[in-house]
Amino acid sequence: MSKGFYTKIAADNVKKNYRLYVPRILAEAGLFASFYILFTLALDKRLGEAVGGSVLPTLMGMGTFIIGFLSLILILYVNSFLMKQRKREYGLYNVLGMEKRHIVKVLFFESLIASAVSIAIGVVFGMLFYKLSSLLICRLLRSGAVPGFYYLSAPTVLFPMLVFVGLDLLAFLAGAVSILRLKPVELLSGARTGEKEPRTRWALLVLGVLSLGAGYYISLTVKSPLAAIFLFFAAVLLVMVGTYFLYVSGSAFVLKTLKKNKRFYYDPKHMPAVSGLLFRMKKNAVGLASIAILATGVLVMISTTVSLYGGVKDTMETNYPQQLYLSAFINDKDRTQRVPVEDLKAIVSETAAQMGVEIDHVDSEKLLIVSYLMRDNRLLTMKETDGWKAEEITNVIYITEDTYKNIRGVASVISEPKGLGLKKDEIAFCRISTMMNDVGSQPGSITINTREYRIKEHLAYFPIASNTSGIVSVVGIVVSDDDVLNDIYTAQKEAYGEHASEFADRIGVTFADEAAVSSVGADFNNTVAEKLKARYPDGLSYDLDTKWESLKNVLELYGTFLFLGMLLGAVCLFATILIIYYKQISEGYEDRRRFQIMQKIGMEEKAVKRTIGSQLVMQFFLPLITAGIHTAFAFPILLKLLKMLMLTNTALFVVCSLAAFAVFALVYAAVYLLTARTYYRIVH
Amino acid sequence: MEILKVTDLKKTYTSRLGGAQVQALKGVTFSVESGEYVAIMGESGSGKTTLLNILAALDKPTSGSVVLDGMDLSAVKESARAAFRRRNLGFVFQEFDLLDTFSIMDNILLPMVLGRAGVKEMEAKLASAAEALGITPILNKYPYEVSGGQKQRAAAARAIITEPKLLLADEPTGALDSQSSAELLSVFSRLNAGGQTILMVTHSVDAASHAGRVLFIRDGVVFHQLYRGGSANEEMYRKISDTLTMLRTGR
Repeated sequence: MSKGFYTKIAADNVKKNYRLYVPRILAEAGLFASFYILFTLALDKRLGEAVGGSVLPTLMGMGTFIIGFLSLILILYVNSFLMKQRKREYGLYNVLGMEKRHIVKVLFFESLIASAVSIAIGVVFGMLFYKLSSLLICRLLRSGAVPGFYYLSAPTVLFPMLVFVGLDLLAFLAGAVSILRLKPVELLSGARTGEKEPRTRWALLVLGVLSLGAGYYISLTVKSPLAAIFLFFAAVLLVMVGTYFLYVSGSAFVLKTLKKNKRFYYDPKHMPAVSGLLFRMKKNAVGLASIAILATGVLVMISTTVSLYGGVKDTMETNYPQQLYLSAFINDKDRTQRVPVEDLKAIVSETAAQMGVEIDHVDSEKLLIVSYLMRDNRLLTMKETDGWKAEEITNVIYITEDTYKNIRGVASVISEPKGLGLKKDEIAFCRISTMMNDVGSQPGSITINTREYRIKEHLAYFPIASNTSGIVSVVGIVVSDDDVLNDIYTAQKEAYGEHASEFADRIGVTFADEAAVSSVGADFNNTVAEKLKARYPDGLSYDLDTKWESLKNVLELYGTFLFLGMLLGAVCLFATILIIYYKQISEGYEDRRRFQIMQKIGMEEKAVKRTIGSQLVMQFFLPLITAGIHTAFAFPILLKLLKMLMLTNTALFVVCSLAAFAVFALVYAAVYLLTARTYYRIVH
Repeated sequence: MEILKVTDLKKTYTSRLGGAQVQALKGVTFSVESGEYVAIMGESGSGKTTLLNILAALDKPTSGSVVLDGMDLSAVKESARAAFRRRNLGFVFQEFDLLDTFSIMDNILLPMVLGRAGVKEMEAKLASAAEALGITPILNKYPYEVSGGQKQRAAAARAIITEPKLLLADEPTGALDSQSSAELLSVFSRLNAGGQTILMVTHSVDAASHAGRVLFIRDGVVFHQLYRGGSANEEMYRKISDTLTMLRTGR
């Protein structure tokens, strides 16, 4: 037999089985395009230069890897499904006298056609959407005037091709093995071996409830972001295990309970659906649970990345009352010799003049930042206590009333700071951020080390940039004068020894036109650094923190997160859809006989449609509802984690999550309508 | 009383491309009295399956009429056909056609559930049907757990539970061994003795020999019919065999 013969059979097969092959081809094309886009984004030097960071290529590289992994799983899944559906057909070839190696040949050409078409479409999609993606990234990263562009180079096309040809080859080999193992007699005998009615597995049910409950409990009760990091993965694992167990055992439990209620069960609407689902869930519980977990992942990924990105502005405003902070030490070792504030001011002023930007005002701050454990309104140095919880760690920023008075801060927040009139044993207290659930409490006094200070005033706003990562609580304290500050300094010096904190002189600069100085950007920072080094040639250490550079870094990170979140979210969404589609089709073929019998016995077509409908709805929307509930319960722990990434805008996160859920549900519903139609056509 | 009247029934199939036309039924006329047990015999391609499908309201004739208990089938609307089948007809199929996902009990109850019967009524009727067919002990089993003969008796129970005017059986012994066949046929005879009208399509001379009357269909028309009269099953068996031989050898 000539080669043309096999290719012709293969081509015919692909055409005949379009219901199976078209989604497979589109799925692979989509995966290829995503892989191609991320891979090219990681390698595209022009983009790297335009954005000017190193985070983007690294993250895109990781994204490429994740997509590659997802592709492996999906392509193998889809192919195993295709093989299962077509075993009968291949068995028939075998019976009709085609040898197995010939069938493998046919399969090879089928795979070749599917692979070639997928990759061809994938390349075209990838190139087209690359431009869109690069445009989107530049937009997200607000990196000025970079146009979207096409990027063509041999490696970025060839490598993804290599990967996907490899994946297809793997899938083909798996298929070939299953053909070689095929026993055609079994296939043709057509014996329908009945399945046992599933039993309720009590152990799994109990374990599932406990596991899910534990996962939810962790999320609801976690106290601090630090604890959240450690517990997050435990919670995710518990919820996953709980979901699987409950889907496997809970579904049988609920359906059997329904079945026992005769009045409910013996109803034309309920009986076929309940008994159908009972058997269906036995086979599909794991698949549906996977869908629920995938969907939860999509929701969490999208809602967090969107709200992180959306919250950037807020975050920056809270963290940077002024646009530039500078402090410097002449000698690096013990950080005692401070560069005088006048010098720092002079350098910044010079630079500003040189760059043609106007300084509105400069504040100088004498700060002392010390780490304590906060326990029952007492600030304890860590050595005084053994055994502490992560959420107790508290950084305190001390300033004197003098400093407080001189800082005018952001005009919109406090225009005229009033005098506090603190006595020696009085302080003003401000929770800048807290990791404990104590936001509302307003203690009357605080004990620092051993001395008690009365809190004369609770401040709503602390005019010093905290610039902490958000892992620990931060408290701002205003003391009456330098003597008190020195007492506190000495106390912690004694406790911490060489690890003790030192005073810092810092200037905070507010520019007249924030936009103007932001557009100067990194040049400003570099010039300041050069001038500092020129003035102190013997070496110095300095800490220069500007709002614009921070913003750029955060935008790059969160913008890339967002892009990845959206792309991976989309890929997961379509993976979900694909799995559902194939499930639906395979079940359609199985259900066909059932519904034919029911119609013969006298079930109206309307009732058949309704039964199919309710069965589909259950199967389809159970995972979606589960995902919704999971996401809702994940809320508290996610909020804590986001706090660590400096997002504190809860409302924003709520809105983002709801929006993500709405969009997801919409797409999901659209897919439902589509597959329900295909299913109905098959069954009918 | 005449329960079924089939008059000059014709069915022509046209191939999809509009080419050749096949006349499956060329004018079938017969009637069935209430309480009768009629077998329809014929070779493959004689048109008996087409006839059965039309009688079951699963297919429509090209011309002619089917009147069941005074109701003209062609007057039954498409949307009401399923309900019509459920109320007036009971079915027993060659492959049993029990649903794997239902227990034997639920399979039997399905037509009643579709007819929205009350739980009490269902249970009463289930008990008597199961009793009549000797399947009470297996009611809670699933189809894959019982033998072919038991499955077919369950299917028969499903067919009679709604007390249909006409029980239609399509090769009911086709998938059964001789022992199970004999059991099923005696069940049918008992049901018939209890007043159930039965119309059975079959290949099997043995099965047909239990009927009170046998219609022979060839090339789309009723070619011949045999009445049992007073004869025993063995006598009937011989008569049918002779008729079939005659039909085959072209008289």
